Amino acid sequence: MTRVAQEGWRGGLAKLTARRTTRWVLGAVAAAVLVAIPFNASPYTNLQLALVIALAVSLRGMDVLTGHAGQVTLGQSAFFGIGAYSGGYGFAHGWPAPLSFLLAVVLCVIAGVIVAIPAVRLRGFAFGVITLALPVVMAPLAIRLDWLTGGPVGLAVTTVQAPAWSGLADDQWQYLLVLAVGAVMFLLAHNLLAGRVGRALTLIRTSEIAASSVGIPVQRYKVLAFTVAAAYGGVGGWLYLTAVHYIGVDSLALTLSISMLVALVVGGVRSPLGCVIGAAFYILVPNITDKATPGRSALFFGVALLIVLFVVPSGLSGALRAGWSRLLASPRPATPAAAPPSAEQHASA
Amino acid sequence: MALLEIRDLRAGYGAAEVLHGVTLTVEEGGTTALLGANGAGKTTTLRALCGMIARRGEIVFDGQDITSLSTERIARLGVAHVPQGRGTLANLSVRDNLLVGALLRRDRPAVRADLERCLAMFPALAKRIKAAAGTMSGGEQQMLAVCRALMSRPKLLVLDEPSLGLAPVITRRVFDALVGLRAEWGVSMLVVEQNATLALSVADWASVLESGRVAVAGPAAEIVGRDDVRRAYLGT
Amino acid sequence: MNIVQQVIDGMTTGSIYAALALALVLVYRSTGMINFAQGQMAVLSTYLAWAMSQTGVPIVLAVVLAVVIAIVMGAVIERLLIRRFEGREHLTMIIVTVGLMTTINGVVIWIWGADLKTIASLFPSDALGLGSARFTVHDVGTVAVLVSVIVVMQVLFQRTRLGLALRAVADNPQSSALSGLPIGVLLMTGWALAGAVGSLGGVLIAPKISLQPGMLDSVLIYAVAAAILGGLDSPIGAVVAAWVLGVVQNLAGTYIPLVGTDLQIAVPLVIMAVVLLIRPQGLFGRREVMRV
Repeated sequence: MTRVAQEGWRGGLAKLTARRTTRWVLGAVAAAVLVAIPFNASPYTNLQLALVIALAVSLRGMDVLTGHAGQVTLGQSAFFGIGAYSGGYGFAHGWPAPLSFLLAVVLCVIAGVIVAIPAVRLRGFAFGVITLALPVVMAPLAIRLDWLTGGPVGLAVTTVQAPAWSGLADDQWQYLLVLAVGAVMFLLAHNLLAGRVGRALTLIRTSEIAASSVGIPVQRYKVLAFTVAAAYGGVGGWLYLTAVHYIGVDSLALTLSISMLVALVVGGVRSPLGCVIGAAFYILVPNITDKATPGRSALFFGVALLIVLFVVPSGLSGALRAGWSRLLASPRPATPAAAPPSAEQHASA
Repeated sequence: MALLEIRDLRAGYGAAEVLHGVTLTVEEGGTTALLGANGAGKTTTLRALCGMIARRGEIVFDGQDITSLSTERIARLGVAHVPQGRGTLANLSVRDNLLVGALLRRDRPAVRADLERCLAMFPALAKRIKAAAGTMSGGEQQMLAVCRALMSRPKLLVLDEPSLGLAPVITRRVFDALVGLRAEWGVSMLVVEQNATLALSVADWASVLESGRVAVAGPAAEIVGRDDVRRAYLGT
Repeated sequence: MNIVQQVIDGMTTGSIYAALALALVLVYRSTGMINFAQGQMAVLSTYLAWAMSQTGVPIVLAVVLAVVIAIVMGAVIERLLIRRFEGREHLTMIIVTVGLMTTINGVVIWIWGADLKTIASLFPSDALGLGSARFTVHDVGTVAVLVSVIVVMQVLFQRTRLGLALRAVADNPQSSALSGLPIGVLLMTGWALAGAVGSLGGVLIAPKISLQPGMLDSVLIYAVAAAILGGLDSPIGAVVAAWVLGVVQNLAGTYIPLVGTDLQIAVPLVIMAVVLLIRPQGLFGRREVMRV
């Protein structure tokens, strides 16, 4: 108590946030808030938040491939679309929700592996270009397969409905479902990246030659990263459909892939928080900019990306972390009390 | 008269200072060997000299202060740097590599003559004149790198570990060529080398670096004779 | 429709890809990167040419002015934007040019809107006949301009000091600086030249497919495919690859029922994927020498 007083509120705050129990408490509070939101918000807000979570899941998968393994992908919308169409087909034919969810994951994993095995042989630009081909091929293919996809009209379906015992409205139930699945996906990604796989991908990003010289099977890990990205794209697409009840060819388009890349970088790579911020940026910004002048969001996206690249290369989440560290750092020169938690935050992010 | 005078040079990478005040001279027409153990700051000294990293202190070349000039400006004044193991443009042909060295010269006939002179000096290059530089052996690339530097008709040739990764026989050949070069091309040299015996055999002056400072400096012949210096700093 | 006609149509389509592919190759050869914003830069200069022609400037003069502006624009973009990220890894460079692409797209929509515009062609659209095949003066003119651009590029890169300097900087900027080459000026030159070639492509294409902000989006993808197939450092390779892609795409769309007109845009990409897997350095390119 007296020591905290001596170090001032900054040191105390730093100590407090560094403590494991504090983190659990903070996490629990955040979770409680997220769960409580739908009971007090309009159906529109619930939909928007569900879309943010769905997109964040897709970005998290992209982050594994692009952020951690260092391979730029411009094909994520293809998997997002496959996931959404799987859901659309399943719900349209009265399948139980878990079945179409499974279909989304399986299809994306298969498609991911098929594309990944040849693609990972290429480096840098060539890899990016190959992934570019995915949405370009997928969009006309979806129109062609109109008996499956509804063609240019798309599929409008009734998705998950709130069970009577819950006493909830559909939008509330759907939000909670999306939140639950999203949380699980983020946890899985965290566990995957915390261990051996995460270290291997980091090494591959830094230097493929160094990675293979210490015995890491580079291509196998790149296939893994690509497949993870594909599966997350599929789950994101499925969640998206569940919330919005509609899937059209637009969700496969290259523009969406590009927007996802922009969102990921703006939010901040190699950061779960960055994925959420990026997704919120993508979903919520057009609501504001397009209200002012329709079609202005492209300009805003581009400018935002360039500004982020110039000013905060670590993205908005990186800027937040830096701001937090600065807040904790005492105005006195270099207090040891403030340093450890900020370092730990960087490491865990 | 000194062609190059470095006084109290401080430089490093980011916040980490590697050189803590290095003083060094290369006489007009002379060869200075810069010796020292791994991590003593030899390569850093050359990088600072050529404007590739941030530096403080004073670097006077040919009567002009070059401390704050850019790499390309320094090169244009007549400092030709052959960096460690990366002295060639890997995807360009041998011929193009040599011509890049001479790109800033206007005297075309003389450039052609110098090109021939290089090829005569290293026939291995003549044989592979059209091959991409990166496809050649380490020794050939080192010769090409030296020739590319010479093609600019420099006043000072700066060599960073010319023996790195080369077989002893090849190394010997490169150093023999260096001795010939000084007389034939009228160029002064600053040579960084791990292999002290080799470097001292071509140099007339030597400076020994230790932890970013000059520990010993003197005529090469004298350093060769000082067993204490050799044992303490050069590991021979 | 006979097969000769199909081939000619394919070559015309391919020429469109080729123009942009040449610009990509130029940037790659002088700076060692792929500029995903090349298409949008060309769109912007085409809009400028259109805007000038709307005020009564003759189309030829408008195009010349637009190309000049494109040269300046290329140099300025390199100096103010790309230079900041020079030497970073591919990932960053791709993202930077993607950001540039999105920004220019937004600017174009903001100023001119998203609706179709009609722009006059540099060449008359009179029909010509060769046997049973039909094509227009515009088609022939497009091919002629392309061939001249290739010749100029080839001479520039292989026969001039500027070309050698550009190749040296693309290979290794730091090493080139040690030979005294003015790196910054050369990088700007590469972008300026690419801006010119790209904008030329834009004004050649626009009369055929109507001027609109997204007119080069799919073309860019094929141009990238052609440039990569051609080996990225070979202008001739890029153009030949673009023509091959155009012809094969057209033939496949017509004669393979499974492909049809809707899926024919996938054909070049499939070809590219297959070729890259067999020959990662492209059809005409030299294998890049990797340093360990």
